[in-house]
Parts: sequence; structure tokens; C-alpha cells
Amino acid sequence: MSDNVPMRDAPAELPEVEERSVDPTLPGAVRTHVVNEKPLQPRRPRRNPIRAIRSGTSQIVAVALKELRGRVRGRRAFVVLTFYLLFLGGFAWAWQLVAERAYVQNAALQGGSAAFASSLVGQEVFGALVLVETLLVVFLAPAFTSGAISLEREKQTLDMLAATPISSLAIVIGKLVSALAYVFLLIAASIPLTAIVFVFGGVGPDDVVRAYAVLVVSAIGLGSLGLFISALMQRTQGATVVTFFMVLFLTLGTMFGVLFWNTMSGVNSNSGFLTGSSGVGPIKGRAPEAFLWFNPFAAQYDVICGASDGYGGWCSRLNTVTNGAITVGSTRSGLIVPTIEPAVGVDDGSGVGGKFGGPVRVLPDQPVTVGRGGFAADPQPFGLRRDTFWPRSLQAWGVLSLVLILASIQLVSPTRRWRLLRRPARRFA
Amino acid sequence: MSDIVVTRGLMKRYPGTLAVAGLDLNVAEGEIFGLVGPNGAGKTTTLRILATLLRATSGDAEIAGIDVRRDPDDARRVLGFMPDVFGVYDDMKVWEYLDFFARCYGIPAARRRRMIGDLLDLVDLGDKRDAYVQGLSRGMQQRLCLAHTLVHDPQVLLLDEPASGLDPRARVELRELLRELRALGKTIVISSHILPELEELCTAVAIVDHGQVLAHGRVSDIERRLRFGAVLRVRILTGQDHEEARAHFAADPRVASATILDDGQIELGFRGDDEAAAQLLASAIGAGIRVTSFARAASDLEELFLQVTSGQARTEQVA
Repeated sequence: MSDNVPMRDAPAELPEVEERSVDPTLPGAVRTHVVNEKPLQPRRPRRNPIRAIRSGTSQIVAVALKELRGRVRGRRAFVVLTFYLLFLGGFAWAWQLVAERAYVQNAALQGGSAAFASSLVGQEVFGALVLVETLLVVFLAPAFTSGAISLEREKQTLDMLAATPISSLAIVIGKLVSALAYVFLLIAASIPLTAIVFVFGGVGPDDVVRAYAVLVVSAIGLGSLGLFISALMQRTQGATVVTFFMVLFLTLGTMFGVLFWNTMSGVNSNSGFLTGSSGVGPIKGRAPEAFLWFNPFAAQYDVICGASDGYGGWCSRLNTVTNGAITVGSTRSGLIVPTIEPAVGVDDGSGVGGKFGGPVRVLPDQPVTVGRGGFAADPQPFGLRRDTFWPRSLQAWGVLSLVLILASIQLVSPTRRWRLLRRPARRFA
Repeated sequence: MSDIVVTRGLMKRYPGTLAVAGLDLNVAEGEIFGLVGPNGAGKTTTLRILATLLRATSGDAEIAGIDVRRDPDDARRVLGFMPDVFGVYDDMKVWEYLDFFARCYGIPAARRRRMIGDLLDLVDLGDKRDAYVQGLSRGMQQRLCLAHTLVHDPQVLLLDEPASGLDPRARVELRELLRELRALGKTIVISSHILPELEELCTAVAIVDHGQVLAHGRVSDIERRLRFGAVLRVRILTGQDHEEARAHFAADPRVASATILDDGQIELGFRGDDEAAAQLLASAIGAGIRVTSFARAASDLEELFLQVTSGQARTEQVA
């Protein structure tokens, strides 16, 4: 320091303010009287879990309310909702016409009943609606959260927020809740529309519940992903771009990854079964199921194909698109009448049996035995038994969401960033 | 009177730079304390450490006896922070803005409503209650931002360059508002590089450069201390021999330099206090020099600041 630094003199007189007495024995808020009438804030309650939860909840409400006020203010939110429902309704109607034409023709050719054709139409419409809603969730959930934190940084409001006693947890959860609230509103508003499938039949209420479970969990997972990237990046533009590349990777990228793997390892493009000898290159065996855990479409396909016992139009469509690499159910052309009898089948270790069939013992890598219905036992999407893939996908999303939210909290916290990774502060010698 | 804001050897190292290099501050309760320094002096870093937004590399900082590093949550309850660059939320009304921050401090609903009205009156935005925040003028936003720091009735306000980007009228209004807040018992720490503003407002200042305090105390103290290291201007009756008078002054050991300016004034580089200056004047009059004016060169905070910061540069060269 330079030598012309004077020692600080205590100001002897402060004309406008009376001297206030301070109790030196109490650290912290020790004004014994204040000039204005408001009482002093109580100290933060410590080690009282109930009060901590209550104050945490009110902080989350504060953030969520603030976000929602901006989001639903004016007519925008309701205009979007209206157009969304109109689009969804129009799409369902168009798909119903297409399916009706196709299946009524087929049913007539095969001498099937109109009631059965109707159930197939119902399954088609269900698949169409659910996939469009999944598409919506896949794009909207991360879009609403990918600016949540970075926008506060850009607008220079995060500092003001961080200087209040609000916890990083409340900021992150509040942002997530408010962003997802609107997505959930869109999802919930589509439920009556989806219920139209019950008019046609072929889809059970449990299928609809499964589909909405996948939608909700995917929304939370993808919302958390957007939030994490938003907390990681400084700029909203960058965060949005990275988020959408991640979404593309999770949807298309994983699908092409599986396609590549299964093609190289020689998974039969017709049966979806591993033929063993036709593989080229070092890749052996079927692609790990985990590749597709974070693909919301894969989970939703599992639900859709499950509704149609693995034989619906949507199931074979995925098989066609992926050139057999991702096999969903039987790929036989034409109408397949489900059997009530237990089907017997063997595939590469995956389950068989479905809604109409009982549980069947399976032997790995044995020739396929054709069941009484005249078709191979119904492997579910990716050669799995019904209700085994989508629950695992949801569990994986649950774990990933938790990790992403915790990481976001660390990133939002101004002074506690990556405490585990930080070197201890060095003392200046 | 006790010190409500204290820092001891505060240091913040960024990769490649030392933003704050052992800063010692004492701010007494009830003061308006100015943190003055050029850009990059470490003012913002210091305030952000005090506001618990940054963690100091080393050193201690206390607000109202609370260690900001150890108990950031407690510290946040006794301080209000206004950053140098701040934004406002879109799609938000003025009262909602304050309501949001009041909720962040966990203030109960019944008190929030009354408090928001009081605060809006205080910052003169009472009629803007239902206006959208982004539609307010810059000065109004600044006052609203100041109001948000007050929702929890903090003891200490940390204001980082609150007057930047304001027109003169808005600055005057802000200054009046800060005086009002001081009258309400708040201690205000304010940083600025706009010096004349602080000169009128602050009861004490610290001049900061390169992350260190160069001078610390009341404005008048610093001035008094530095002034006679500075310049005296002497005007003598026209017709007198200026050169003779100059020689007389130059003969005094406390006069480092004596020059005749173009306008006839004699400028003296003088080392000494008021007493010494009075002696010098008496001796000049005794020697028959007819002095019409004997005054210190007008020294405002800005000049002071330049003196002090250039002094720092010199000591650095020596070191």
C-alpha cells in the first residue's frame, strides 16, 4: 500500500441520523430500535424441518408464480392451446379416415368383422394421437426450460435473485414446475380428445394411462435436460441450440445408432431375430436396450404396440423405417387375428406373449415355433415382453432427471458451484 | 458507533488477475460510504463478495457481525444488493416485481401488500403500481430496483454504480432517495467512478485502485490530508514585482516549487498543513508582498482521486 493512506477516522458527527445503540453481544441483526416501524426480520429458522419445508415450498411457489404470470398473461397461452387442440383433432380425424379405408378394405377381403376393423382403427388413431403428443412434449418441454436460467443471466436478474435468501433448489424447481405446468396443461387438454379412441375400441384405458405416464415422465426428463443446459450455458441462444441437438440425438440419433448396430451384427430384418451368422464386423449381438431408454418415442412405441398386441400398423411402420433394425411385433403383411390361445414362440431371449396370450416359456436362440394363431409369437418392441421396456425407460428418465436437477442446483448457486470439484481456497501468505 | 461492514485482507484472485488484493474496509453504521475507483479497481468484486455472490479467495468480510462466507443466508437477510447492470423481467407488473422479491424473503402476504405500497411511495412510483416493468423509464427502473433491495428492511444496502446511465434529473432524484434512506437508518455502500456525485452524498469514501484501498475516511479528512501536499495559488496586487514575490515564496523550505502562471498568479507546490500555510502567508505579508488572494487550488474529489491513484502508480514503480 502506498504510504499516503490515512487511517480511517470515525466520523464524529452525522447530522441527519441519530446515533443508534447496538448490542455488541449479539452478532447479526442487533438494531435495538429502528427508525421506521417495521420490525426486524426473524433470523432464519435452523434445524426445523417442517418450517424449512414450508419456507422452501413458498419459495418454489414464488418462482413458479412469477414465471407463470409471464407465461399465461394475455391471450397467447389460450390461443396456442386452441390451435393445438384444433390441430390434434384434425390430425386424429384424418388418420381415422385413412385407417378406416385401409382396414375396412382388408377386413372385407379377409372376411373379418366390422367390429374387429373398428378396433384396429381405434389403435391407429390412438397411435397417431399419442405420437403427435410425444412430438409436442419432445419439443416444447426442453424449449420452455432451455432459457429458464440463461435468460436470467442474460437479463442480469439472476444476481438479484441470488442475493436473496431464496435457495437454488427453489429457483430450479420453481422454474421446472412453471415450465412444465404449461406442457402439462397441453397434455391434460388432449385427454378428452384421446378418449375418442374408446369409441372405436381396440385400446384399453390402461393403454391410455401408460401413454400419458410416458408423456408426463418424458416431459419432466426433457424439461430437466433443458434446465440443466440452461444453467450450464451463459447464453440462451447457445443453450437452445445445444438442447435441441441433445433432443435430436436422443430421438433420431439413438434410433440410427440401434439401426447401425443391429445391421452390422446381423439382426434379421424380417423377423427381428438374431440370426447369428450374418453379422459383419466386430459388433456382435443385439444392440443394448439402454440405447433407447432416453428415446421418448421408443417408450411410446412400446405402449402403442402393446395396445395392439405388437401387430398394429404403427408397429410395422417403425420396422419399415428402420429397415428391420428395430422390430416391433410381427412384420407380416396383412391382417392378423389375435389368438385367445397361448401362443408359443421362441426368440432370442426376449419375452413373448401378450394381451391375449398367456406367459410362455422361451428358449434362447431356438427356431421359431409358430403358434396356433398362425403367426410367430409376438415379440414386443425391440424384442421385449410387454410392459418391460417403457417402465425401464421411465425409471431411467427418473434417475437422469434427478441427477440433472441436482447438477442445475449446483450451477445456479453463486458460491457453491461444484464444491466437490473445487480446490480449497488458498490462504494468501 | 460500531462498524457494520468490515473487511479484513479481502482478496479475490481470478485466473490471471488479482481483482481484490487485501482490501480493508470499515463502514460505520448509518454512513453513506462511497467506494471510488477507476474501472477495474475491484469495486464490483468487493461488493459482490459482500453480497455473498462471490467467494473471496482469502480474507474475511462481515456484515452486521455476520460472516458472509460462513453464513451467506443470514447475511442475505440483512443486506440489500443492487448490481451495476440489472435487468427487469418481462411481462411483469411493478407490484408483482416487488411481490416476487418479498416472497423470496418469505415475507407474509398480509405485510407484503402494505409494504409494497409504502415502498412504491418511497421511490415515487406509487402511480406505476400496475404498469409493466419493461415499460418504465431507465430512472424509474433504477428506483424500482432500489425498492426491491428494501423489501426485507435490510440494515445495509450495497449499491453498485446506481447512478450509471441516468440523466441529471434522475441522478438528483436518486441522491435524494439515498439521503432519505439514510434518514431511515440504513447504511449505504455505494460504488461509483462518477466522483462529483459521491462527493456531495457520501459521509465517507474509500479510494480503491488495483484492488487496494489507497485512501479511506471522510471526504474532508482525505482532502485536508492531501490538500497541502498539493497546490496553493497566490494572487498579488498588480504592479508588484511578481518575480520578487515568487523568489520569496520559493525561499521557504516547505515550498517545493513556485511558478508564475500566465494570469499572474503564483502557484506553489506546498507541503504543510493549515498552520504552515498561515505562517507562509504571514511571512509574505511581513516581507511587504501585497497579497490579494491566498487559496488552495480548488480540489474536488476528482482531483484528489487522480492524485491518489497516480501516487499508487509511483509506489508501484518503486517496488
